[in-house]
Amino acid sequence: MKQAFLLGNGAMALGLLEAGCQMLTSYPGTPSSEILPETVRFAKQAELNTVIEWSVNEKVAFDNAFAAAISGKRAACCMKMVGLNVAADSFFSAAYIGNIGGLVVISCDDPGPHSSQTEQDSRFMARMAKVPVLDPSSPEEARNMIQTAFEISEEFQVPVLVRPAIRICHARQNISYGDLKNNDTTASFKREPTRWASTPKFRFLQHKALNEKHIKIAEKFAFLRPYNQHDIQPGQTHPLGIVAGGVPSAVVADLLAEFGRTDIPVLKLGAPYPFPASLADPFMDACDRVLVIEETDTVIEYLLGDRRKTFGRLSGHVPMEGELVPEKILVVINRALSDCGLAPLTNDNTARDAFELSASLDLPVRRPTLCPGCPHRASFYAIRKAVPKAIYPSDIGCYTLGSNLGGVDTVLDMGAGITLASGFWHAFQQDGVDKPVIATMGDSTFFHSGTTGLINAVYNDARFVLVILDNGITAMTGMQPAITQGIRVDGRKGNAIALETIVKGCGVEYLKVVDPYEVTHTIDEIRAAHEWTLSPDGGIAVIIARHPCVIGLRDQALTETFEVTVTEECDDCGLCHLRFECPAMKRDPEKKKTRIDPVLCSGCGVCLHICPKDAVQCLS
Amino acid sequence: MKTYQFVLSGLGGQGILFMTKILAQTALNRGYNILGAETHGMAQRGGSVVSHLKIGDAGASLIRAGAGDFLISMDEAEAYRYLPWVKPGGVIFANAKARAFPDARVAPYLSEQGITSFAMEAGKTAFDLGAPRSTNLAMVAFFSAFGQGPLDASALRETVRSMSPDPVKEINLKIFDTCHEQGKKLC
Repeated sequence: MKQAFLLGNGAMALGLLEAGCQMLTSYPGTPSSEILPETVRFAKQAELNTVIEWSVNEKVAFDNAFAAAISGKRAACCMKMVGLNVAADSFFSAAYIGNIGGLVVISCDDPGPHSSQTEQDSRFMARMAKVPVLDPSSPEEARNMIQTAFEISEEFQVPVLVRPAIRICHARQNISYGDLKNNDTTASFKREPTRWASTPKFRFLQHKALNEKHIKIAEKFAFLRPYNQHDIQPGQTHPLGIVAGGVPSAVVADLLAEFGRTDIPVLKLGAPYPFPASLADPFMDACDRVLVIEETDTVIEYLLGDRRKTFGRLSGHVPMEGELVPEKILVVINRALSDCGLAPLTNDNTARDAFELSASLDLPVRRPTLCPGCPHRASFYAIRKAVPKAIYPSDIGCYTLGSNLGGVDTVLDMGAGITLASGFWHAFQQDGVDKPVIATMGDSTFFHSGTTGLINAVYNDARFVLVILDNGITAMTGMQPAITQGIRVDGRKGNAIALETIVKGCGVEYLKVVDPYEVTHTIDEIRAAHEWTLSPDGGIAVIIARHPCVIGLRDQALTETFEVTVTEECDDCGLCHLRFECPAMKRDPEKKKTRIDPVLCSGCGVCLHICPKDAVQCLS
Repeated sequence: MKTYQFVLSGLGGQGILFMTKILAQTALNRGYNILGAETHGMAQRGGSVVSHLKIGDAGASLIRAGAGDFLISMDEAEAYRYLPWVKPGGVIFANAKARAFPDARVAPYLSEQGITSFAMEAGKTAFDLGAPRSTNLAMVAFFSAFGQGPLDASALRETVRSMSPDPVKEINLKIFDTCHEQGKKLC
C-alpha cells in the first residue's frame, strides 16, 4: 500500500482508479471540484489512459458517463449537489434503464451552505430517482465506498449515488491506497431498443424491475458492514439509541468515545437507501427512543417510519437548517439524553460563554469580496455608471460578489442571469414600461446554461444588455480551463470555441468586445448598447467584457502595472473602499483618507478612473 | 497518543492552507495520523478563513467548539473570532502586538479558563524581512518556540525547508529562524 495526504476529493480520485474506472466526467462546483483534477494527476502517475473530461455541464457529464457504462465500461461522473438538479432528467431516466458496466454518480453536498444556493440533500434526489445511495463518514470511507458502489452498480445494473458532504470533500487525511488501474473492458454496444430506447410500455416494466432490484439491494445493505451496522445484542434494551449516517455518524462516534458513553447504542446507516429494514428494525425494537442525526434533511427519519419514538428534525430536536457541526450535535444529544432522563455528555458550557464574548467584541464583518485587480470589479463599476437605474440579473460564479458593488440584483441558478432578464423585460413591457435590464454572466456559466435562455430571449424579442464577463477561466471553483482557451483538463489540446461564434449563433446581432480595464470606453459601450436595445429596430445587445483572471492568468492579466498613491485631494468619501470595494484600498483612520495597501494592490490601475476627486494618482 | 487539535485562523490570501500543510506534513513524517477540515470556494475570497487539524486518531474532521488545544491566528481579530474553539487550558498564538494582546475584554475569560496566550507581530517581521506574504511561516515558527504539542521545532523547520520552492527557501528559513528566536524570548 502507498500513502498520500489528500483532500477527501483526492481520496475519492484514488477510489475511482483503484476500482478501474475507465471514464470520469464532471462540471466543477464547490465542494466537488478537486475530484476530477486529482484523478487526472493519479491517472498520469500510473500511466493510465482513463478518459477524463470537464464537460460543459452536469447533464452532459452524466450522459457521457452513462454511454460508457451501457457500453460495458466502468464510468463515473461527479458534481456538486445542485449540479445533480441539472442532471436530474438523465439521472431519473437512467435508474429505470440501468447500466452494464458500473455507473457511479458522486454528488457532493454543502450543508451550511458554504458555497451554494441551497442546502439540499442528494440522498433525497437518490430516493426520488430510486437510485441506491452511499453516504461516507470520512475521506477514507469515501474512497472505499466507491469500490462498493461500482460493485453494487454492476451486480444490480443500476446507477449508484455516492453522497460525500463538504466535510468529506474538503477534509484532508492520510490515505493508504493500492494499485491504480484502468479496467480493460472494451466498449461494446448491443442494440436493444426495448431497453436503451424504451417506450412508456417498456418503461413500466423497467420501473417494476427497478423496484424488484431494490428489495434485493435493501437485503444486501442490511449486511453491508462497516457502512451499515449497530452494536446491540439480542435481548438488550436501551432508553435511547442514536441513528446516524454520513459525517454526523463520525461526530457521534467521537463524542460518545470522548465522554465514555458506551451505554448509548448507535445504528450507523452509511447506506441508507434502499432502506435496510431488517438491520434497523431490531435496533428500533431494542430502544425506547431513537435520536436521528443526519445531514442535511430527513431521509433516514422518514424511512424509519415510527415517528412516535423518534427524536430528530421532525420532533424539533435537530436544527432544520445549517451544518451539523460537532458543538451543535453535542447540544442535540444532551437534549435527547435529558428527555430520556439520562445524564448529559457534559455540563461544560465554556464554548457558549466564549461565543457570547466573541460576539460582543464587534469584530470586523468580513464578507467575501472580489480580488484586488479583478476585472469583474471594473465591469460592475462600468455597468452601474452606464445604466444606474436598471435591474441587474446575474448568475453564479465569482461575479456573484458584484452584489457588493450594487451590480447584482438576482441570483437564482446557473443560466438565470439571462432568463430572468427576459422575464423582467416582458413583465414590465406588459405594463408599457421599457425597463432597463443589464444582465451579467461568466463565460463558463454561459456555456453551461446560457445559450438556451439567450436563444429563447432573442426568439421572443426581449430587450436587454447581456454583459458576458469573460476572464478566460472558471475561477470560483479553482481555475479550471475555459472552453474558449481550448485546453483540456489533462493538458491536451481541445477545440477552442469562441464566445462570439456562439452569441451570433444564438441570433444576436449587436455584439461588442471590450476590455473592462478600459473603464471609460466600457461605460460608453454599455450605454450605447442599452440605447440600441430600446430602439425600434433594436434587440438584445451582448457585450463581452474580456480580461484575463488576475489570479489564474496573472501574467496575461497584468501586462502593464501601475504604482498608485492617494493624494491630499482625498476627501474621505469612501467610494473606493466601500462602493468600489477594492481590498487594497483602506481607510486610514488617523489621516482620514484612503491609503493603498502595497501587499494587496495588484497594480491594475482601474482605480485611477474611479475617484470623484481624482485623488488616486499614478507614481510610475 | 492523545489527539492534538489545532485551529488555524486568518484571512483569505494569507496562506492558511500552506500553514496547515506544514504542520500536517511534519506530523505525517513522525508517523501520526492526520485529519483536517479546510475552507475552499467562495468563503476563501478575502473573508475570514479557518482550518482545523487533528494530529492523532480521530473520526470527524471538524473540531468541536471548546475542544481545541491550540489556536494559531494570523490576524488578531480572527483570533478573537475563533476563541470559542479553544478548550480550557488551551494555548493561543496570535499575530498581534505582544503588549496589546489579549484585548482587556478578553483577558478575564482567558485567565478564568486557564487559557494562555502568546503574541508577536509575525506579519510585520515577515514584511521587514522582505516576504510580506509569509505571515503563515512566521506564525508556525513562533509556535515552534514553545515546545507545545507533538511537533518539535527542528522537524517543523525541516518541513519548511523541504516544502519551500528553491527561490524562496533561503528567505523562508530566515523568517523561520527569526520568528522562532522571538518566540524563545517569551518562553
